[in-house]
Amino acid sequence: MTGIDMTAREIVPGVFSVGAIDWDRRLFDELIPLPQGTSYNAYLVKGEEKAALIDTVDPAKEYELISNLCRMGIERIDYVVINHAEQDHAGSLPMILEFFPDAVIVTNEKCKDLLIALLHVPAEKFRVIRDREKISLGKRTLQFIITPWTHWPETQLTFLEEDRILFPCDLFGSHIATSDLFMSDERTTYVAAKRYYAEIMMPFRTSIRGYVGTVRGLNPAIIAPSHGPLYKNPSFILDAYADWTSDTVKNEVVLPYVSMHGSTLKMVDYFTDALIARGIAVKPFNLSKTDTGELAMAMVDAATVVIATPTVLFGPHPLVVYATYLANLLRPKVRYASVIGSYGWGGKASETVVKMLDHVKVEVLEPVMVRGLSDETALRGLDRLADEILKKHQELNLV
Amino acid sequence: MATYMCMICGHIYDPSAGEPVQGIKAGTAFDQLADTWSCPVCSAEKRLFQKA
Repeated sequence: MTGIDMTAREIVPGVFSVGAIDWDRRLFDELIPLPQGTSYNAYLVKGEEKAALIDTVDPAKEYELISNLCRMGIERIDYVVINHAEQDHAGSLPMILEFFPDAVIVTNEKCKDLLIALLHVPAEKFRVIRDREKISLGKRTLQFIITPWTHWPETQLTFLEEDRILFPCDLFGSHIATSDLFMSDERTTYVAAKRYYAEIMMPFRTSIRGYVGTVRGLNPAIIAPSHGPLYKNPSFILDAYADWTSDTVKNEVVLPYVSMHGSTLKMVDYFTDALIARGIAVKPFNLSKTDTGELAMAMVDAATVVIATPTVLFGPHPLVVYATYLANLLRPKVRYASVIGSYGWGGKASETVVKMLDHVKVEVLEPVMVRGLSDETALRGLDRLADEILKKHQELNLV
Repeated sequence: MATYMCMICGHIYDPSAGEPVQGIKAGTAFDQLADTWSCPVCSAEKRLFQKA
């Protein structure tokens, strides 16, 4: 679509969603698939004396933000609150400052540094706030809660006290382009929010876990994230985050695989059946056809990951390397990992894969690497691995 | 001496190696690092490290 996709919408009287919907975008960071598009939510809060814009939009949509503000007849913005310096939210700040040159940027010290580095915003434009500091807009108060590592080191939350609306930026978001201002379909939103958590928030699980309680303590009536629909029932997303960030894992094995000539596939098929027969849920992903977001989402709560790879020359298949590298970056809470696969004349495929998982706290179970097409003896090796996984899952009381 | 992992980026603090880039000598236990010490990779605070 081109042109103006969205107009401002009222959340409560005097508080508006003024951002943009990106119906067409299908890839974020040249990395993350966006099967349902996304939105960049920005918010305008009008007090009796002052008006504050909370976050901006991706620069690709900056004219939509400006257009929304113009159509609303907004002639003055006193504060631009920036909760997060990443360009899809802060990137239209230079344009906003051109249209509203008297606006003061309100953010924390770390975010200020990043905005100067990333967007070359002049240092004199800022008002730096501390944790729990408040700004009055006249009968409306914004409170800032500095929450490092809810994605980046500078991330913060903004809470509109009188209306009890929380603006957490990326935290609690989902990549969905929808004309619904508020979540209308729980199931669709749950899956999209989980996928978003897996892709964006999972590496910061330990840090985010503590902030779920901080947010509950604020008792928000509405959570208004910077991507996807708003939540009128905050416990929906807070309960989900409490679950995803907990140390609890499920009786599941995620099984990313590649097979070139069928030897590894034969092992994957056999192993999948072996796990099912033992009452363990299994999610195989053919990496040549897999949406990496789906794979990341599967890793949110699985107890075990088994990576299946053929040997290309002397090492794992490059698609396996890619998936393993991603898993090591996203750092899921999996407890056990192993490698299965095949080779023709040698190589160190399983050793290479295991070495790549140095940032994930896992116990590595003995890999099963087979020369050529698996025979009965090789398949017994897979039975042993399945037994071992069952034993480990039983020890965790998952079965 | 125990190694510690950064819960943000996964960097491992290994006392037997120290952190030469930060001028921390080999043999410095994690507990001996200043409270203001931060991860040499991602700058996360010391409290965000857990025993590896």
